[in-house]
Amino acid sequence: MTVSDMIARLVGVGHKYETGPEIFKGITVDIEKGSFHFLTGPSGSGKSSLLRMLYLGLKPTWGNIQLFGEDTLKVTSSLLPLLRQKIGVVFQEFKLLDHLRVIDNVSLPLRVRGIESKRGQKHVQELLDWIGLGDCLKAYPPSLSGGQKQRVSIARAIITRPQLLLADEPTGNVDDDMAMKLLYLFEELNKMGTAVIIATHNQRILEKFPYSQLTIKEGSLLKLPMRKVAYE
Amino acid sequence: MNKRQDLPLKNDVAARFVPKIVALMVYVGTLCFVFTLFMTHTAHIWETQFTTQLSIEIPTFSDNASSALQERVVQFLNRTPGVQRVITVPQKEMENLFYSLLGEDANLELLPLPAVIDVTLDGKENVDIQNLESHLKNISPYLQIVDHRVWQNHVTNLIHTGVFLALIITLLILSAALATTTFAIRTSLLIHRQIIEVLSLIGATHSYIATQFQINVFKQGLIASSIGSFIAFLTFLGIKILLEKSGFSFMMSSSFFFQSICVFILSPFFTALSMMLAARLAVMKALRS
Ligand SMILES: Nc1ncnc2c1ncn2[C@@H]1O[C@H](COP(=O)(O)OP(=O)(O)OP(=O)(O)O)[C@@H](O)[C@H]1O
Ligand SMILES: [Mg+2]
Repeated sequence: MTVSDMIARLVGVGHKYETGPEIFKGITVDIEKGSFHFLTGPSGSGKSSLLRMLYLGLKPTWGNIQLFGEDTLKVTSSLLPLLRQKIGVVFQEFKLLDHLRVIDNVSLPLRVRGIESKRGQKHVQELLDWIGLGDCLKAYPPSLSGGQKQRVSIARAIITRPQLLLADEPTGNVDDDMAMKLLYLFEELNKMGTAVIIATHNQRILEKFPYSQLTIKEGSLLKLPMRKVAYE
Repeated sequence: MNKRQDLPLKNDVAARFVPKIVALMVYVGTLCFVFTLFMTHTAHIWETQFTTQLSIEIPTFSDNASSALQERVVQFLNRTPGVQRVITVPQKEMENLFYSLLGEDANLELLPLPAVIDVTLDGKENVDIQNLESHLKNISPYLQIVDHRVWQNHVTNLIHTGVFLALIITLLILSAALATTTFAIRTSLLIHRQIIEVLSLIGATHSYIATQFQINVFKQGLIASSIGSFIAFLTFLGIKILLEKSGFSFMMSSSFFFQSICVFILSPFFTALSMMLAARLAVMKALRS
């Protein structure tokens, strides 16, 4: 496999928060282009922290992360936004901007990249319609339910069709039907070339979708390959 | 809603006092700058109108003796190197001057007026005044030589110091306005740090975030400084009318008036642009650290 097939490469990555335990003890893993992974592990095992390292929100205490062929330890402040523009993130705590309408929250990544357009705006509306938020375009996040906020956050993460999608418990606040619908959405995105990493506890999802599982256990990362399943 | 405003800066508590301070500073600053213009113009008028550097006073004797002496002095001066122009002040002008000083009913018969010869030097050669004086005393010991350059220099220095000080004060006021902007921006950055974090997590460049602040600061600065400048203009008009009523309208030349108007029009833009730049620098610096 060449470096150009690689989205991210973690080599011996360890992390310890200043006030807290050592959560990773030398993780080595490759995330390939167009791959699909679930990230699992008990609560507090470090799923969110690992995703944070991947979107360059957290520096590893030791080891090295390469992202899109760049050594993240040497990333300059001008390169950092360009790398982040290739990544879509669904944050566990949503991180919506409360003073912007739903539609403006979702089109924010387009605006930030300077590619906002009439067509883009229509695309945003279609996406919000599809995930059942067609009636909330002009609402402000504080007036939404947890599940609605989560879907806005998902829409914002995928609107730019990123090369890497990092989703932290993206189905934690929605019912099972919606959870399945969202997973199909991620699959669609993956088929178009996006590498997807989804942190989840949801056993039903893990059973239903046969993708590779990365499990954090006592600071190490175990990799379960994709299952071969017969579709019903 | 402005699509570019991804930060809720309009209702920013931290920045609420800034427009008022900026308006006040622009008010004082523009008036101060217009004052420097005024001083510069006055200096210019001064330098072009008061060209006489030396005066020779010849006391009056009998009329004949005086004019002969005058004639000799003028001839001597015209021969002296470094002298550009020699003018005998007409007796009528002298009388007018004295009447204006002492009142119309002064009796000039009792107060014999001296003849005055004004001398303009060409400034190229250094004229030795003592040498000149001793030569003149040779012609007549009663001749008085008055060197105006000493007090003229004093006045010119005073005007230049005034211009310099007023400019410094203008610059200080501008710096204070920019410092206020910077402080407000820093507070604003703290207040909105979570939003800024989200923006950078979704790939916003520092420049993009700075632009958000810049646009807001420019709008705010332009409105506030326009108000300040407009009130300063009204004050200026008031002073102009007052000067005209008191017969000092000659102090406001039309070119000075025109330049002042330009200052009042341009200062809001200049201030708003400077504030915008200060905001950008403050944001970029804060984000880099
Ligand atoms: N900012 C922080 N400072 C100190 N410790 C932290 C910080 N963030 C997380 N931790 C600790 O790091 C460990 C991993 O946290 P993390 O949020 O990554 O877990 P997680 O697997 O995402 O958990 P969950 O499934 O509950 O979301 C936890 O023990 C947590 O207490
Ligand atoms: Mg988590």
